[in-house]
Amino acid sequence: MTKHHPSNDFLMEHAAGSLPVAQAACVSAHLSYCERCRRTDGQLQTVGGAMLERLDPVSVSESLLDTVLARLEDPAPLAYAGQTEVSALPGLLQRLTNKDFSQLVWKRVTRALSISYLSTGDTSHEFALLRIAAGGRIPEHTHGGNEMTLVLEGGFSDGRDSYHPGDFIYRSSEDTHAPVALDGEDCICLTVLDAPLKFTGWQHRWLNPFLKLRAS
Amino acid sequence: MVAASCMLTGRISQVPRCGMVENKNDGEADSGRSSGKWAVPTGRRTDEWSECLVLIGKSNDRAAFTRFFRHFAPLIKAFALAGSSLSAAHADELVQEVMLKVWQKASGFNPEKAAASTWIYTIARNCRTDMFRRLQKFDTPLAADDLNIELEGEEPFTVLHTRRGSDRIKDLMGQLPPDQAQILAKVYMEGKSHSEAAAELDLPLGTVKSRVRLAIQKLQVQMDRQ
Ligand SMILES: [Zn+2]
Repeated sequence: MTKHHPSNDFLMEHAAGSLPVAQAACVSAHLSYCERCRRTDGQLQTVGGAMLERLDPVSVSESLLDTVLARLEDPAPLAYAGQTEVSALPGLLQRLTNKDFSQLVWKRVTRALSISYLSTGDTSHEFALLRIAAGGRIPEHTHGGNEMTLVLEGGFSDGRDSYHPGDFIYRSSEDTHAPVALDGEDCICLTVLDAPLKFTGWQHRWLNPFLKLRAS
Repeated sequence: MVAASCMLTGRISQVPRCGMVENKNDGEADSGRSSGKWAVPTGRRTDEWSECLVLIGKSNDRAAFTRFFRHFAPLIKAFALAGSSLSAAHADELVQEVMLKVWQKASGFNPEKAAASTWIYTIARNCRTDMFRRLQKFDTPLAADDLNIELEGEEPFTVLHTRRGSDRIKDLMGQLPPDQAQILAKVYMEGKSHSEAAAELDLPLGTVKSRVRLAIQKLQVQMDRQ
C-alpha cells in the first residue's frame, strides 16, 4: 500500500500526455504500484474522452476510409517482447533495464551509494536508479533541480517519514534532506531530476572532503 | 540495452554488480490474463460506440468498424489539428494509425471499464505523442503505450466507479465556464503542459493550475485534497 503519491497536477498532466517522457515514466511506474492513482488516472482520461467528443469534427475523405479498410488485415506490429516472467518491476522499467537490475552498470559514488543512468531520450531530465546500501546514509544535500523519486525496493527514511516500494516523492530544489536507507535490504530508487547541468555540481559535491559518510 | 554509463562524464567506473534482489511487492505484474472478449453488458448504460467496439473485437465486424470510423475519424482529425500541431497530411496519417489500432486492439476493450470515447482518446493521445517524437527525431526507447498503465483486473468497485464517473463527467462538461473549458482544451486537446498553456494564454502559471483544478473539481473527478 503506497502512502506517498504524485500531486494532482502531475496526475493531470500525465493523463493529458504532456509530461516529459522521463517524468511520465516515473509517474507511470508509480501507477503500476498504486490502485488509488490508477483510478484517478482513469477518470482523468475520461475527461480527455469527453473533450474529444466535443471537438468540432473535421471532415475526412472517403478515400481515407478505403485506405484503412484495405489495411485492416495487415499484420499488427509485434508487441514488445519481454515481460514473460513475472516480475515486481513495472514493465517500462523492465524494458529500460533489460528486465532487472542485475545487468545494470552501477557507478559507485560512495560506499553506500551507487548510480545507474538509464536513457529515456529526454535530454532535459536525468533518469537514474540509485542504490543505497542497507542502513546507508546519504549526507545532507540539496538538489540543483527538482527531483522525483520512486522507491522500487527496500526503503528509506528522511527524518520526516519513511518510504517504501511504490512511494513517490517530489522535492523541489530548495529542499534539504539526508535520506537513510532502511536496514535489512538495499534501497533502490528511481530518480528523475531536471536541470542536469546542476546535477553535475550535485554529483561533484560527493568529492567534497567535508562530507563524511556514515554507512553502518 | 540502454546506455548505463555516466552520461555526464561518458565514463564507466567500477561496475559493482547488483545481485538480483528479491522481488517484493506481489500485488502487481499480473499481465498474463485477460485477452478478454466482453459481452455488451445488459441492464447497464452502454452506448452505440461501445457496442461497435465489442462487435469489432468479437467478430471483426467491418460494418461496425465503418460506423465507428465515420463517427470518430473526424474527431481524431480535429484532435490532430488542435493547436495547429500537425499538418493536414500528418493529421490524416494519425487518423489512419489510430483507426488501425482500434481494429487491432478492440478485443481488449471492456465496455464496463471505460467509455469508447475514453478508450479511443487514450489511443489517439499516445499515437500523437509518438508521431510528434518521430517528427522531431526524438529518440526514446519508450513508446507512449509503455507509459500506459491499464486498469487491469481491478476490483469491481473500481470498475463501477470508473464507469459512473465517465457518464457524470460527460454530463458536467457542458457546464464548465469558458475560461476553464479553454484551459482544459489546451491541456487535453492540444497536449500542452501547464506552463506552455500559461505562456500561450499569457497567464501566470498559478492561474492556469488553479483553473485546471477548478475544472477537474467541477467535473467531480475524485482527487485527494492536497
Ligand atoms: Zn498513488
